[in-house]
Amino acid sequence: MRLILAILLGKLIGYLTRLFRLGGGSAAPGLYALSIEPDLVTKLAAKIPKNIIITGTNGKTTTAKMLAHFAKNAGLKVIRNHTGSNLERGIASTLIANYQLLTTNYQLDLGIWELDEAAFNTIAPKLKPDIIVFLNVFRDQLDRYGEIDTVVKNWCKTLQILNPKTIVLVNGDDANTAKLANCFKGRIQKFGVKDYKISGESIEHVKEKENLDFEAKNVKLNGLEGSTFQLLTTNYQLPTTLPLPGLYHIYDALAAFACADKLGLSLSKLASSLKSYSPAFGRMEKLPFGYIFLIKNPAGATQVFETIAPNLKPDDRLLLALNDNIADGTDVSWIWDTEFEQLLSSSLRGAKPASTQRGERRGNLYISGTRACDLAVRLKYAGFDPKNIIIEPDLQNTLKEARTGLKGRLFILPTYTAMLELQKILAKSGIKKEYWKEE
Amino acid sequence: MKLIIGYLYGDLMNIYGDTGNITALKKRAEWRGIDVEVKIKNQKSKIKKGECDLYFFGGGQDQAQELVARDLVVSSKGKSIKSEIERGVPLLSVCGGYQLLGDYYKPHKGPKLIGVGLFPVYTEASYDRMIGNIVVESMFGNLVGFENHSGKTYLKKGAIPLGMVTSGFGNNGKDRSEGCIYKNAIGCYMHGSLLPKNPKLADWLLKKALEVKYSKDVDLEPLDDSLELQTHNIAVKKFG
Repeated sequence: MRLILAILLGKLIGYLTRLFRLGGGSAAPGLYALSIEPDLVTKLAAKIPKNIIITGTNGKTTTAKMLAHFAKNAGLKVIRNHTGSNLERGIASTLIANYQLLTTNYQLDLGIWELDEAAFNTIAPKLKPDIIVFLNVFRDQLDRYGEIDTVVKNWCKTLQILNPKTIVLVNGDDANTAKLANCFKGRIQKFGVKDYKISGESIEHVKEKENLDFEAKNVKLNGLEGSTFQLLTTNYQLPTTLPLPGLYHIYDALAAFACADKLGLSLSKLASSLKSYSPAFGRMEKLPFGYIFLIKNPAGATQVFETIAPNLKPDDRLLLALNDNIADGTDVSWIWDTEFEQLLSSSLRGAKPASTQRGERRGNLYISGTRACDLAVRLKYAGFDPKNIIIEPDLQNTLKEARTGLKGRLFILPTYTAMLELQKILAKSGIKKEYWKEE
Repeated sequence: MKLIIGYLYGDLMNIYGDTGNITALKKRAEWRGIDVEVKIKNQKSKIKKGECDLYFFGGGQDQAQELVARDLVVSSKGKSIKSEIERGVPLLSVCGGYQLLGDYYKPHKGPKLIGVGLFPVYTEASYDRMIGNIVVESMFGNLVGFENHSGKTYLKKGAIPLGMVTSGFGNNGKDRSEGCIYKNAIGCYMHGSLLPKNPKLADWLLKKALEVKYSKDVDLEPLDDSLELQTHNIAVKKFG
């Protein structure tokens, strides 16, 4: 009875937040429902045939979205917490919104849950997952998650209490996730890329000794278009075209493929369904006048720079937005661990005489967000001429200015809450739908 | 002119954007035509007298900090650093680095980690996490940064704090003191990164390094710091 009451309350709050346009209702319904029924997640998740958890610092949303895409293509009915609201209240909200009061059940095959590094430890035992994916551990918001060693230690403790029959998939190229093999009673399976080293990898380790269960070979990166590679499993070799740029997205794709394989889906069909895949909102998003790439921590941001830098043309402009809200991390010092220098080397590429080159770059770099000045200082020390940096903390104004007289493309690199704000600005100006209505 | 910066345990102690301090020192020297070389001093390295002109020692994860504490004693690098500081070589240490240069660090469990004894301070583990933006009044004017520590540091008699907290926690969250200054060595809890947003302090370290190295008074060429100072002033206004 308490469960039903909690669900009813949650559904009502969800309805009201959407009615009054307070947002997508991705947190509040769960928050209130959990205060009535603390075991809500356990009870409702048990009604879903299979649950998959995806955790790690970077790539959760992209992996979850790709896996959902695969599953839907295979005819499965899926739910996931798809607006990046990955705390318990976010999971609860999704479970409530999809619950059918009439049949007191779900018409679903699969739940895909992305959990942040800390939320994993409290929620995984409640969800009792069939499959867990550990993508990577990088420095991210140390003010919130604590140090890397602590994150891994806590994951270890959680793995020890989970059912040893759980399928555990880890990034074999990340020394920290690979270590998890030692703390799980069952067998851990690994995915990775043998030919490349991913930047930001915290600890060097020898890859040749690694036995990968899912591997990308012959990787070819094709600029902003994406990449091609051979997907190798114990019994398949599959040519794959991934419509997402950058090596880091290959890891997300491998994780999604590995999960799909464990669900018994046909991999060859999945590879061809990638053509119709569209990226998660804001992570890597194509706009009529440019692109959005989310940046949120040193490793992820550096990977984004590596991906876009070789593709920047002289007429292109950059807009970077740094916020220090709780979801971004209140500590902005991570920008000093991030290689903004990479953007510089590309902007100077093009081989024109230095003087005209400098003149052309004037006004091509826009800095915004609550901590715009901090970011501008970082760029100065990365080697950018401060005269070419336009600082405007208000994002809407910056966007307007950056688009005025734009001849090339605009690359927008926002932190998390700046990205949400950007989505609202774009929706208001009719450029795209509200993000919670996507999909 | 040339400066050699010794980055103490740069491979292990480099958390929370501490590397930005090295970047700031390097750039501010280079913009004045001073060559800079950064030498990472790790567990295997030795420190010779006069080898480095300026030292930086950042913060690290708990596990790294234990390793480093042991190595400072075993390799006697701690002693070498101390004698360099005694002859005036400047040093900046943040968080973990600062703690290890004090008398000792007392963890929740296990024995005390004996420090280098450079700063007359000691640190005790606590269950309070002191996180947030911090503004400190000091002989360098206001200093702005971001602190994130649970260790509480106490000054012994005669120790000189780097400054007094205007907003934030500082050494221990009680006596309003932040950091410690001994000769030309500074210890503090300000990450975030400290030097890019506090150019006066960065230049003081550079000046001291050059003066000790070349045994003469040095006046640094002024730089256009309008962007740094704008950022600094916003932080003082917003968080002070």
